[in-house]
Amino acid sequence: MLRKEQNDLLTQTGPGTTMGRMFRCYWVPALLASELPENECPPVRVKLLSERLLAFRDSQGRYGLIDEFCAHRGVSLWFGRNEENGLRCPYHGWKYDHTGQCIEVPSEPVESGFCKKIKLKSYPLIERGGVLWTYMGPPAEQPPLPEWEFASVPANHRYVAKRSQECNWLQAMEGGIDSSHVSFLHSGELNHDPLFKGTKGNQYNLGDLKPHFEVVESPGGLYIGARRNAEKGGYYWRITPWVMPSFTMIPPRGDHSVHGHFWIPVDDENCWAWSYDYRVTKPLSAAEVQAMDAGKGVYVNFVPGSWRPAANKDNDYLVDRAAQKAGRTYSGVAGIAMQDASLQESMGPIVDRAKENLVSTDNGIIMARHRLLRAAKALAEKGTLPPGRDPEHQRVRSAAVVLPADQPFKDAAKDALVARAGVAHTSV
Amino acid sequence: MPSESARATTAAEARFRIDAPNSQPRCVMVVALDRPSETVVKRLAKLPWSRAGFFTASSFASTRPQSGAGFSMQGWLSDLAGRTKDLIDEVAAADLVVMVASAGEDAQAASLIGEACQLRHVMTTALVLGGSQTAGEATSAQLRPFADMLVVAASEDYIADMLTALRA
Repeated sequence: MLRKEQNDLLTQTGPGTTMGRMFRCYWVPALLASELPENECPPVRVKLLSERLLAFRDSQGRYGLIDEFCAHRGVSLWFGRNEENGLRCPYHGWKYDHTGQCIEVPSEPVESGFCKKIKLKSYPLIERGGVLWTYMGPPAEQPPLPEWEFASVPANHRYVAKRSQECNWLQAMEGGIDSSHVSFLHSGELNHDPLFKGTKGNQYNLGDLKPHFEVVESPGGLYIGARRNAEKGGYYWRITPWVMPSFTMIPPRGDHSVHGHFWIPVDDENCWAWSYDYRVTKPLSAAEVQAMDAGKGVYVNFVPGSWRPAANKDNDYLVDRAAQKAGRTYSGVAGIAMQDASLQESMGPIVDRAKENLVSTDNGIIMARHRLLRAAKALAEKGTLPPGRDPEHQRVRSAAVVLPADQPFKDAAKDALVARAGVAHTSV
Repeated sequence: MPSESARATTAAEARFRIDAPNSQPRCVMVVALDRPSETVVKRLAKLPWSRAGFFTASSFASTRPQSGAGFSMQGWLSDLAGRTKDLIDEVAAADLVVMVASAGEDAQAASLIGEACQLRHVMTTALVLGGSQTAGEATSAQLRPFADMLVVAASEDYIADMLTALRA
């Protein structure tokens, strides 16, 4: 459980909030690069950390992320004209460059210099790994550019997608570090999903429903190890890194590509669930990409023209009670992503953690909250910048490995937990 | 007509969630396995708890012979006032046993406590506090066979947060 004031602190990320200040210490994914596919393409509305913004790509290919609303009369610049190195408000022709600087006010004499006095709030927006990242904090504290491994491999080695999720970021993120639910909620997919099935690791998963856990602090966050019984007294370990504030990488399965997530607050009652898949040593196959496009693995199908999953709360997530009864799915909802999202959204927009009853196997979640609270407090009281900004903290990997019983995962799998160019993930 | 899920998951509907206790207090037995941990546990015991009991097994290492027979099951587990306690009775009354060890210290008392928990089907969580990675691993290795959950924490503050989260 968390006290109400702790829950409020962790779940509120708007401007001026403690956790909002902390999120504004990081580069966060803002939108897919494919959403701004060419120079002078239509702008895209982006809501992040309870701020309404507008992303656009100007005539020179420069990315801008600026206040959505024109400084003149407050209309949305989403209706604007993206032309000649700027975004022009269609109401009275005010024009802004990619930094939010007003560069033209047609009704005022150019000589007056009036437009120089007008500037919209803006944030840097850079492309890495098919994702446009933004940093929304003080310029003086801007961290190095993001160094996540999935973003550094060749484009045909990775797949990145996002979907909207209709709940607070924290309850979505906590699902990502809760290893013990996999053997239940996702048990059907371990046998049937083309991006999961057919690995030895799945047999260990399904054969031992009471894993033992170890939680170890890392410089950037945590490693959460789940061990299950394997042959000859050995243990099958699934090791999940969590890097502050909201990055996780799921342990790989066999030769399947490895995947993971970011959970980024849209506002306090909605978040973006970012998902990535990648393989270091070879490209994703056409069949894998096709399966991801089709909503398999950790991906979903969308309501056309939106990032909202086709199975959503308005249609009860297309729950199929017959499939649930037959054991094809455990909850009746199809697909790993929506199995998670449906349950997390069912908690309500912001779950009341004063009512929960955690057990000892929830220590990964408890430790993550502890670290977030500790870092947020240190930032608020002493100005100490939080972990997870350092590129070294970001060069982490998940791993799945069978180890002798007397070997701790943190040591035995030490090399497997660090990103290494040209070396495949350690997987079973 | 909105679906049941759409209606039920709104913030407005959250007002109608039943506001009644959904659990009974859990009895958590917290055991310090060594002298430095005992100091930590004594500080912890001064905080307000519902059903947490605090003990020390720090005399285990001095009581237990280095090898061979002759070890007595009695006398090495005590409450923080120094009163000897019966391990089996205490474990039987607990919903969860939390063993607290300091990195680099002898944590062999975990073996007896762990076996008692297995006998009584009580979950065990082991916490290793501070110290270097090498020292922490030596201690973790002693705890691992007897802990359902093992946590290596940099700060002793974590214990209080964990016990609060578990409604101790």
